[in-house]
Amino acid sequence: MLDIGFAKSALPKNGALVLLVEEGEKPTADLLAEVDHATGGAVSRALEAAEFKGKPGTSCTILAPGAGLSRVVAIGIGKLEALTQRTAEEAGGHAVPALSRDTHASIAAAALPDALAAAIAMGAALRSYRFDRYRTKEKAEDKPKLAKLHVLAAHPVRAKEAWTPLQTTFDGVCITRDLVSEPPNVLNPAEMAERIKALESLGLKVEVFGPKEMAKLGFGALLGVAQGSANEPRMVVMHWHGASSSGKGKKAQRPQPIAFVGKGVTFDSGGISIKPAAGMEDMKWDMAGAGTVVGLMAALAGRQAKVDAVGLVGLVENMPSGTAQRPGDVVKTASGQTVEIINTDAEGRMVLADVLHYCLEKYDPKFMVDLATLTGSIIVALGHEYAGLFSNDDGLSAQLTAAAEETGERVWRMPLADAYDRQLKSDIADMKHVTGRPGSAITAAQFIQRFVGGRTWAHLDIAGMAWSTKDSACVPKGATAFGVRLLDRLVASHYEEA
Amino acid sequence: MKLRIGGSAPKAVAVVLPVLEGSPLPSGFEAAADAEGFTGAAGTACHILTAMRPTLLVGLGPKPNEAAYHAAGALAAARLARTRRIALDAHGLLPQPAAAFALGAMMRAWRQDQWRSRPDEDGQRLATIDLLNDRPGITAAWQEAEAVWKGTRLVRDLVASPSNLLTPDDFIERLTPLREAGVSVTVLKRRELEHEGLGALLAVGRASAHRPRLVVLRWEGAMEAAPVAFVGKGITFDTGGICIKPAAGMEEMRADMTGAATCAGVMLTLALRRSPAPAVAVLALAENAIGADAYRPGDVLHSHSGQTIEVIDTDAEGRLVLADALSWTAKRLRPQAMIDLATLTGSIITALGHQMAGLFATDDALAAQIAAAGEAVGELVWRMPLGGGYDEALKSDIADLRNCATGRFQPDACHGASFLAHFTAGVPWAHLDIAGMDSQAEASDSHAKGASGYGVRLLDRLVARRFEDPHRA
Repeated sequence: MLDIGFAKSALPKNGALVLLVEEGEKPTADLLAEVDHATGGAVSRALEAAEFKGKPGTSCTILAPGAGLSRVVAIGIGKLEALTQRTAEEAGGHAVPALSRDTHASIAAAALPDALAAAIAMGAALRSYRFDRYRTKEKAEDKPKLAKLHVLAAHPVRAKEAWTPLQTTFDGVCITRDLVSEPPNVLNPAEMAERIKALESLGLKVEVFGPKEMAKLGFGALLGVAQGSANEPRMVVMHWHGASSSGKGKKAQRPQPIAFVGKGVTFDSGGISIKPAAGMEDMKWDMAGAGTVVGLMAALAGRQAKVDAVGLVGLVENMPSGTAQRPGDVVKTASGQTVEIINTDAEGRMVLADVLHYCLEKYDPKFMVDLATLTGSIIVALGHEYAGLFSNDDGLSAQLTAAAEETGERVWRMPLADAYDRQLKSDIADMKHVTGRPGSAITAAQFIQRFVGGRTWAHLDIAGMAWSTKDSACVPKGATAFGVRLLDRLVASHYEEA
Repeated sequence: MKLRIGGSAPKAVAVVLPVLEGSPLPSGFEAAADAEGFTGAAGTACHILTAMRPTLLVGLGPKPNEAAYHAAGALAAARLARTRRIALDAHGLLPQPAAAFALGAMMRAWRQDQWRSRPDEDGQRLATIDLLNDRPGITAAWQEAEAVWKGTRLVRDLVASPSNLLTPDDFIERLTPLREAGVSVTVLKRRELEHEGLGALLAVGRASAHRPRLVVLRWEGAMEAAPVAFVGKGITFDTGGICIKPAAGMEEMRADMTGAATCAGVMLTLALRRSPAPAVAVLALAENAIGADAYRPGDVLHSHSGQTIEVIDTDAEGRLVLADALSWTAKRLRPQAMIDLATLTGSIITALGHQMAGLFATDDALAAQIAAAGEAVGELVWRMPLGGGYDEALKSDIADLRNCATGRFQPDACHGASFLAHFTAGVPWAHLDIAGMDSQAEASDSHAKGASGYGVRLLDRLVARRFEDPHRA
């Protein structure tokens, strides 16, 4: 893992140096004059030769410019005054691929305010994530070497203070990315529950429910999905008590918590309605909603967020077998409502139905946000640019949209309406759980809405966002942990005590 | 379909009584309504056969708006579809709600039977509607609504027409009602299209024996202002071209000219109600056929805008004809805003189903006004995103743009809209992807079976609200 430190601005004696270059005809950057002085103007000459103008998203690597430096990497940041938390993170992220041959590097960020210097560090950290647990033969020269990154800041102490809460968010992101990356033979529901239990070291209180406990709670929907697998299901509840109590002693009262609920299908074969073979390996990340809730709860605990939050994940494996659920089955959910199973591959909403119901009955939360890799329809609607946001509350939607824009984990609101809900009518039960292809991300959301008891609720369909097939500034390809930073920002902006 | 306005119902006609929820029930019907549990709730009706004459009570809900009156009228026509003549007893309604009520009934009672040689066995016979209301403003109110009805009927008749009877030139012949209403109709044929450089439209229409056309409809209005422009995709039949569609369901592709028909319909409505707003419509008409000279995947086309387009899929042809039509409209007609309508993508159906059209726009104010107009008349839209990463997907290895991305699970509605945005030349623009809205698979309480005419009421209302105000900056 990349070790990040903050230091006073001075030309480093060796390693790589990253310059953050402002856009303009003549590039300007902190330490540019100093490095030019030390290298006889080599860096400015090189930037001119490369026609480097400092546009955001561009970079230029200058090898061995002299003065003991292995390389200088120029990163375009656009106009300094227009730099935001998000664009600064992107600049930090862009620097990382160019630094893989060095063991240590310095980023000259003294021209930036402390918060943005910290954001540069955050971007670099996010981009440097790698999941290589199962590579046993990788050659040393193929592994990125970068181990130590110094951010050279105007006020190193204050920049480090700004970095501390970001680092805990980053740690949460890594927890999520690890969980989502793990192969499904390793990460089954019981294993995932164990790993969540281990997060009690952060101050979370963790409860684990097995099939017996869930049967007592009447979780017919979740258990119906799980019944085809040899791996037992779990529900895990994570509690974070960061808010202060009102009143004292025995009369002390906790505030209403906020709640996050995740779909955790550790592998989704589709069940009896089995999926086509091509691409089925991707279904290991059908637990990304749950993985995101876990990372988020870890981030809140890690930074001692002044809020009471509860995170619930429903963990199952969806397998075809002699004991598996069939299309045509009718199950009774924890809410008492009955559901006709049409397609066993629409299992995520069944898991969420029981967990959401338990959440609202048990915790009476201020709001519930659920995350799920729920539908292919949302990918056909929005691609890999936005998660689909469905909500019964305009205020919560606006807060989520704003947090999404700030963090770059973007969401697009999609509709809910009675005309869609009516399509869930079943001939035999209170409802069926799936409709035809038209509008099927919406009808899935309508189904979930039937289990939130009219409470303030939002549903994020992250099927297009949980996994990436190409690198972007702050997200290497693979598990993205989409939602951890977004929801962490939502909490920080609106739900923490002053 | 006939509508007569009068004070009383002719004999032997079923009567419809609209009922406000929470108000006392019409006298004499209390017992029947009670037996049926009818209270006047929206979407409910109660058919009473024991009265002096057959009577249908229809619920308006507690606080009906225009869309609710329209829906109640539709419900009445749905329940009484087998009755030859019905009377809407709208004595209790003000002229405009009464007209909305009648328009709803007319739109629901429409059916497409001009190509049947004997009556359809479903027994729908409703042919005459009496609107009972003797308030002073009722004739004027119905004239406004009738303009919408005639515009809608034109759209439905065009959309329902089979493609052997509706080639591009047949489509143009069917525009006679527009000429009669004072709309000028200009047609650009091959030589003009070549001269003007509409290479994308020409390529799409190349393989068909029926040549592509660009039709320009102009309504002068009475205001000194740049016109609002409607641009329509008019593929009179879409085989998919060389990237041929699967056979199952291909007959539905006769409706792939719905965008162009809707533009013609709204122009007819504006002309019939003498809208003061200047308006133009540009219809890109072509048949996407297969032939020895068909355009191919891999071809590079020179569009009117000067931009080159690599064809990836010949079945993404709507965006090609619209690209030229939008660019030509922006340059030649200099409109203050452009709104295009197209049955563009299957993706929008997967996204939004058949309940809402996809709205894409480069202008937030225009988008908000379209959404508000849709809400008011009950023709819903939902805003969808443009640009950014969707533009990335349209990069071509060989030309300025490609017409679509490859692979499964593509957000093709966003790609199609982002493609079109490249041809709008900075004119405020909105795009309605109406692929899910052009037709109703089954008759329902609210809609007739078949071509819907979706969009005429929405755009007519948009013009009334946004483009007829002389003081608007």
